[in-house]
Amino acid sequence: MIRGGKSYVSAPPAFSADAKRLLVCTGTAVSIFSTSTGLQISSLEGHNGLVTSVIVVPGNKALSFCWTASVDGTIRYWDFAVPELMKTIDIKMPIFSMVIPSIMGQPGKGTREDDSNAAHVFAYLSVENTQVQQNTPKPLRGWIRKCNLTESRLAGGALSETRKPEAITISPSGKFFGIRNKRKLHIWRVPAIDSKLMIAKKITLHHTRNFNILAFHPTQAIVAAGDTSGRILIWTGFGKRTFSDGDKLMKGRSMNNEEERDGVRGDDDADASSTWHWHAAGISVLSFSSDGAYLYSGGMEGVLVVWQLDTGKKKFLPRIGSPLLYLTDSPDPSLSSISCADNQIHILKMPSMEIVKSISGIKLPYSCPEIYDGICSKFAFDHTDGLVALRTVNYRIQFYSLFDDREMSEVQICERNHQPGDEVRVIVTLVSLSEDGSMMSTVEVKLPEEGLGSLVCLKFWASGPQNKNFSLSTVVYEPHRDARISSLAFHPTRQMVASSSYGGDFKIWVCSDEIQQKHEALQHSGWMCHAIGSYKNKPMTAAAFSGDGSVLAVAAENVITLWDPDNNALVAVIGEMQMPIATLSFAGKSEYLVSVTKGSKPQLSVWSMSELSESWSYKLHVEAVTCAVDSSSFAVLSLLGKDGVILLFNATDPVPLAMWSVRKAQEGGLAFLNSDQLSNQQNILDRNRPQALLVYINGDHEYVIFDPYNIEAKELSLTRPGSRVAPDETGQFGYSSIYGELPKFDIKRDQTVAPSAPSQRPWETIFSGSSHELPPLTKLCSDFMESLLERRTAMVE
Amino acid sequence: MAQHQISKTFPVKPKHKPKPRTPKLTSESKYWSSFKTKQIPDLISSISSLTFSPTAPHSFAAAHSASLTLYNPLKQFSPTATISAFRDVVSSASFRCDGLLVAAADLSGLVQVFDVKTRNPLRKLKSHTRPARFVKFPAADKLHLVSGGDDAIVKYWDVAGETPICDLLGHKDYVRCGDCSPVSTDMFVTGSYDHTVKLWDVRVRDSGSVMEVNHGKPVEDLIFLPSGGLIATAGGDSVKIWDLMAGGKMVYSMESHNKTVTSICVAKIGKDSGEEAQQYRILSVALDGYMKVFDYAKMKVTHSMRFPAPLMSVGFSPDCMTRVIGTSNGMIYAGRRKYKEDAGGGSDEELDRPLSKYEKREKRLKALGDAGGLGPVMKEPQIQVLRPSNFRYFHRGQGEKPSERDYVVMRPKKVKLAEHDKLLKKFRHKDALVSVLRSKNPENVVAVMEELVARNKLLKCVLNLDSEELELLLKFLQKHLTVPSYSRLLMGLTEKVLEMRTEDIKASDALKGHIRNLKRSVEEEIRIQQSLQEMQGIISPLLRITGRR
Repeated sequence: MIRGGKSYVSAPPAFSADAKRLLVCTGTAVSIFSTSTGLQISSLEGHNGLVTSVIVVPGNKALSFCWTASVDGTIRYWDFAVPELMKTIDIKMPIFSMVIPSIMGQPGKGTREDDSNAAHVFAYLSVENTQVQQNTPKPLRGWIRKCNLTESRLAGGALSETRKPEAITISPSGKFFGIRNKRKLHIWRVPAIDSKLMIAKKITLHHTRNFNILAFHPTQAIVAAGDTSGRILIWTGFGKRTFSDGDKLMKGRSMNNEEERDGVRGDDDADASSTWHWHAAGISVLSFSSDGAYLYSGGMEGVLVVWQLDTGKKKFLPRIGSPLLYLTDSPDPSLSSISCADNQIHILKMPSMEIVKSISGIKLPYSCPEIYDGICSKFAFDHTDGLVALRTVNYRIQFYSLFDDREMSEVQICERNHQPGDEVRVIVTLVSLSEDGSMMSTVEVKLPEEGLGSLVCLKFWASGPQNKNFSLSTVVYEPHRDARISSLAFHPTRQMVASSSYGGDFKIWVCSDEIQQKHEALQHSGWMCHAIGSYKNKPMTAAAFSGDGSVLAVAAENVITLWDPDNNALVAVIGEMQMPIATLSFAGKSEYLVSVTKGSKPQLSVWSMSELSESWSYKLHVEAVTCAVDSSSFAVLSLLGKDGVILLFNATDPVPLAMWSVRKAQEGGLAFLNSDQLSNQQNILDRNRPQALLVYINGDHEYVIFDPYNIEAKELSLTRPGSRVAPDETGQFGYSSIYGELPKFDIKRDQTVAPSAPSQRPWETIFSGSSHELPPLTKLCSDFMESLLERRTAMVE
Repeated sequence: MAQHQISKTFPVKPKHKPKPRTPKLTSESKYWSSFKTKQIPDLISSISSLTFSPTAPHSFAAAHSASLTLYNPLKQFSPTATISAFRDVVSSASFRCDGLLVAAADLSGLVQVFDVKTRNPLRKLKSHTRPARFVKFPAADKLHLVSGGDDAIVKYWDVAGETPICDLLGHKDYVRCGDCSPVSTDMFVTGSYDHTVKLWDVRVRDSGSVMEVNHGKPVEDLIFLPSGGLIATAGGDSVKIWDLMAGGKMVYSMESHNKTVTSICVAKIGKDSGEEAQQYRILSVALDGYMKVFDYAKMKVTHSMRFPAPLMSVGFSPDCMTRVIGTSNGMIYAGRRKYKEDAGGGSDEELDRPLSKYEKREKRLKALGDAGGLGPVMKEPQIQVLRPSNFRYFHRGQGEKPSERDYVVMRPKKVKLAEHDKLLKKFRHKDALVSVLRSKNPENVVAVMEELVARNKLLKCVLNLDSEELELLLKFLQKHLTVPSYSRLLMGLTEKVLEMRTEDIKASDALKGHIRNLKRSVEEEIRIQQSLQEMQGIISPLLRITGRR
């Protein structure tokens, strides 16, 4: 069983203490990536729920400990170099955010807890109070709690209650932390470690709009907050009154309470407040640079803005291509990472804001206008290489390797600039790959503006033999007049594509390589229309080639028409369904055809081609269907509410061979993959080799690969090929990153050099060579002096 | 992991156009099109013969009506001399191998030999009783002449004595053409209207022709191909190639002309490089106005050109620089290739890479020093050593071209953004539309409109145009509304514009005028469409019927 396709951007990542590793929360695990290669090295697995925060213990670079918190209600302590679980704290409430102030701002003291009389390490958690009923009016489910990590228990009561669990932001110095609560910011000062006060002091800052995010200045008492309208508010000198000394605690608290009651903005505890406005939409990223001179902000536009804090001057990193979610600083001031909504983490080289590496996960689903929901093909699979082609929002196709769980390549389908946050008006609706994965055809649709200027565009792509770098071969504008294309089907062996349209016809396209001789075709190999067919002017809703390519089945709304693709002759018409057929698929090389209808009367039917009649059918709402290439079995993903069930059938038999229940099946996908590639990598013995593998992708693009035939071993022994762990490049850091490696200090050599041979006259050779290669003056001097001395002694002797 | 780059900005591009199905120009057709054609007009009647002098500057003689004109191709095809000592229409002319004499036959039956320089008739060969049709000097023979005429007799002349050495009998109809073998001075072929082509050898006097082939049509022209073993004959609408060595076997029959082929000649591709360099071709011209280039090695027509009149004669200069074609209406199409200066080109080619500027200078200096082999003759010129006081010092080496073995680091291609692209990038949609409307490139205008549709902003832009900009838009719409590839977008847009901006249009007289024009062009288009439909109505039953067969 291989799982993958997790979101990398569900929670902010964290850099390791030496900034060579990036710890990314991926579902229930934490994946560790190398920042120099961008490849995954290892992962921390143990949580049962989504991991929501990961905090690396700073300090010594040799040590690699981290705390993780998860919605399964546990906090775990890991040594991620090994990787090994060291400690588990169960607090029995889903944790949505965690900060540990005591380990911040004290680099070098990260190992404090090794001391026998160490102070306790406290964490502040944002938890969801599951006891509060959802149906009560205005439930306050979000709590901020303090937790003693050393003693593994919660300490004190709730610091604050909010409607939902909020993300806690901590200041880099570890003195303050805060949350946003609608139009307010709550900021607490962390009590000193040795102080007996358990309860932190709190102030509240107000604004007229909902806040999105806040950030603390690393050294000064400055807090910045971004709101939903794109404004950045900066308060300087916050909390002077409240936090100045402990004596006035009670008074301060009471005053704060009053303020909370009144909601008077003018009485907020800050010296000054200023507003910056550049972003057009809400701000989601806000962070101060480590020296506090700059403020980074980002949002929906996908532009990282750098504000000079003193002057308010701006610099931009534009066209990142996706809304920004998190900006994470690393201990190395030249590295930081930004997480984007399209499941990518870019590692930035900081002063120049240059993207040095990208860690791309599987592209997340995006919402397209409703009329296209049914039409868009969700996935296309390359069965031989184990790839899935996904449409992305910025008019691209991402090829994602299912076995390796990483991105292979991206192809720009439509040469347009994508503005994240804009309404989607051009959609890549269909993508289809040929059997061997060397050809691709795509359909993109431009939506009309009040009936004006709609365009359907069919494109054919060809790739090299090995890589998946597709290049455009042919563009066909409006292939079926202005009618939209319902499906694309590749011929299993030849360069032939059938496209069916709602306009009532289907076309067969052939690559002109096939027509012309090879030496002539090199110049203009292109696709052209070979044949047009229609049946009673009915909209054609689906098309499929049979396993040997001799029959083309086209669904004409509610009947299935069978054609000879070479002669474009209608062979037979079968079936009469009540609803339009949505999908057609031949069951491998067998004589069975599977048809799926959707809508109010969904049906899954299997047709026998030899008898030209229905052999069996179910009333099932089928989301996806896939057929094995060389056997007669097929699998369907059937929807039961939000979740679903995968049924494996043999086409001859209506009784399913196996069933698996899955979650989030809506918009999911299913495909058989060849197991050759996997077995090549893993050297599985032939008897153990699975016949074929089934991959299931759910609506969130998380996937699982398993062997459908090996029923007794449902938890498959398939593991991810271990060879994929990339050897880590030793990155240069600190002094060496600026000046390069110093030569190794070699004691032996120094000893041999020092007593110079008296017969030589080193001053003759000492100064030869270019000036920058000269030994340092101290060395020269001694040599020179020695040479003088030696001359004298020689004379004496 | 794929290296991420910040996504590029894509400029707005017009839609791709379909590629032409026909293949691109081959290098050979490029060569044949490289002859820059000049018309020589105002000759009275059809050009019956064009013949080139074998010596430089390869001037050519054109026979037209009762005169023979010599043209110099180096001087813009200016007529250098006209010989008009003829009593009747000149039918054929031929230069002697040294280019000093020219022989001409006319329809009175007289064959005359002229001095090219003085234009004086040196000899008058009188023997043909009917019009003489061709005359030819043998290849390397300065003393003899071959002629033929409507009396069906081929005569072999002793030029100096003005007497026919022998009459060659055998043709049964007019003899129209003939050519002498390029490898033997004694052999020649003649073609006649009796469909036959006869090979004669003057060394065998009595036995008639040595060989005879039947073309099947009256033979209009024939030539020996340069090898001397093949001949090409033109008659009817075909050109046939015969192998004389194999006893007169037909090698190929080219039938790509539609009317009678009137003249053929051999041409050489005068290129130094390329696949077809220095190869021979047959040029054929016909009454259908086409000149065809035939590759007789591959048996393929490699190029064809159309001229606006029936063509009568063709000639190609031995230096491959000039090609002349005569028509029936007294026009000569003289084509000449651009004359390239080859001087100095040879020195660099001995190295397989181009020399850098400094190497060249060094070489030049060396050459100067060694002139005459007597050591430095002249004072060695001072190479100005660049010093930091010179401005050029700071630019030295910047213009250096990479040599072949150097690894060139490619600079990423810069995306060129037009004015409207920049404005679109700044989301100034209306300004982008106005800017592209001003640029007068309809493809780009439509591309920007489509981009605006994709951004859902086109109609908002239209709404915001002021009256001057609206005028621009209306002008554009009026001009390009009926272009088929744009009409789907523009028709809808026009409707919307009229609907949205009615008030403004009513208020302005200038806009009203544009609307009137718009109306007119729409009406015209409707008329065109109607007549097209009528035509379709006529044609479609015909197509239906032919499809049934």
